[in-house]
Amino acid sequence: MSATSWVWFGIVIYIAVGLAIATMARRQLGAGVSEFFLANRKLGGFLSAMTYSATTYSAFMMIGLAGLTYFHGVGALGFELTYLCGMFMMVFFLPRFWLVGKKYGYVSPMELLSDRYQSKWVGATAAILALVFLVPYGAVQLMGVGYLMNGISQGVIPVVVGIIIAVVCAIAWSNIAGMRSVAWTDAFQAIIMITVSAAVLGVVVVSLGGFGAFFSKLESAVPGLLTVPSAKGAWNINMFIGLALPWLFFLISNPQVSQRLFIPKSVTAMKQMLGGFLIFGFIYTLISVLWGFSATLLVPGLENADLATPTLLTLPIIPMGLAIIVMIGITAAAISTIDSILLTLSSVWARDIHKGLINPKVSEKGELKVGQWVIPVMAVIAFLFALWVAEKPGLDYMIAPLSAAASAGLLMAVPTIFGAFFWKRATATGAIVSCIVGAIIVLIFQITGWKPLGWWPGVWGFIVCVPLFIIVSLATKPPREKAEEFIGYLRGALKEGRFI
Amino acid sequence: MSKSAWAWIWFAFLLALDIAIPWYVLTRVEKMSGAFLFWTIWVAVAIISAFVIFLKWKEVER
Repeated sequence: MSATSWVWFGIVIYIAVGLAIATMARRQLGAGVSEFFLANRKLGGFLSAMTYSATTYSAFMMIGLAGLTYFHGVGALGFELTYLCGMFMMVFFLPRFWLVGKKYGYVSPMELLSDRYQSKWVGATAAILALVFLVPYGAVQLMGVGYLMNGISQGVIPVVVGIIIAVVCAIAWSNIAGMRSVAWTDAFQAIIMITVSAAVLGVVVVSLGGFGAFFSKLESAVPGLLTVPSAKGAWNINMFIGLALPWLFFLISNPQVSQRLFIPKSVTAMKQMLGGFLIFGFIYTLISVLWGFSATLLVPGLENADLATPTLLTLPIIPMGLAIIVMIGITAAAISTIDSILLTLSSVWARDIHKGLINPKVSEKGELKVGQWVIPVMAVIAFLFALWVAEKPGLDYMIAPLSAAASAGLLMAVPTIFGAFFWKRATATGAIVSCIVGAIIVLIFQITGWKPLGWWPGVWGFIVCVPLFIIVSLATKPPREKAEEFIGYLRGALKEGRFI
Repeated sequence: MSKSAWAWIWFAFLLALDIAIPWYVLTRVEKMSGAFLFWTIWVAVAIISAFVIFLKWKEVER
């Protein structure tokens, strides 16, 4: 059988197993919006940890992060681990989201904001922010799959075919049983992601003579990649902060992950979710970065960093079977992220835009139907964006910066989220103004490529939106009664659970 | 000072190290024992800190 036939064989098996799991998950599906979008807040620790991990870690890791490491060296590790260090903030936010989610029945993080600020416009603003900025992030996942299948099949499978496969799987898995099918397929995919990436890294490291020889070769062949700023000069402190700052707050700014803070069934499940994710993230990050470093030794001189992984997988030292399994692992990482994004965006549209603004009297059944229709619509938009971006060469269109660009826009909601939990004086006007002005700044800087003082768009947006949030809040009237009730409830509940 | 305040200060300290050590102290160490090792140990410390805090959580009846 040819390489392409093996690739198709692997894809068919993967889709078949994924569909079987999603279909089995459907047997547990009950009725209602909370059931469809949050699995009725009844997920156990293992599933919660796996769906959080698979949603967070995407094609970005083994393609984008590996590509960044390939081009810019160890700074890529620092950037990604800065994100993981930011997960320390989960000790503050996880119990808070979970407690108020249970008490007030929030379905989306935007609904939480609308209620806390007593303004549906706050939720709608944050929802629009998510709809705008998650499209590029979703598109990145599709591009990852397209590049990979194209690379492994040595150009026989066009990039667009890989993108279409990813779109169809994501739509199916998010629609079959909502969060239940997404969580179960995520768990399946998370296990594939980490085991096959570890296995293929092991094969490559052994072929380089073991870890000791691998590190020695790196130190002698590419010493400039082991420091920051990198010898090539592109990876400087501004790029590091520009990429790391939006990522640092990823856990609250990205609704597809913050929505998952509502789903554990108990405190024990919450602890398992957080602990499981931290261990998963630590291992997967190291694997992805070492993978990128191995590519610098084995396939030097590539012009497009996103092709480092696909090119490495075509080397004779990696058995064809393993290369195909790795391709499946990375495809799984991409699809597990995009199906979660689709599910979250559909819930955000249904709850915060449709019910919040367009038709407040819509029935629960009607709301669910709207959400299910939004899934394919958002998928098609992400698909078109991916097609457009895949033809653009250069750093601005690399997977990693594109992912960071999406997070830079979502970063503008961070002051609003902090204010909701920690500042009674925060107001709806402050939230709306800071989100909109910050997002406009990010968009303008992103589109024009303008970087005054060398600082990235997310940094400028954040510098403007934080003081704006504070000043406008101080100048306007807060929802005192709700703030007292919301934060007062949390104070008591946090004490009871020994949360901090 | 509350436990929460201490945790925020600890987190800020970790972030300060994130910039200070690799970007200003280890900037000429072109070895795996430089920034690579620092960031690996640094994040392990952050993860262990989170474990120390969340392992104390207990079930709530609300």
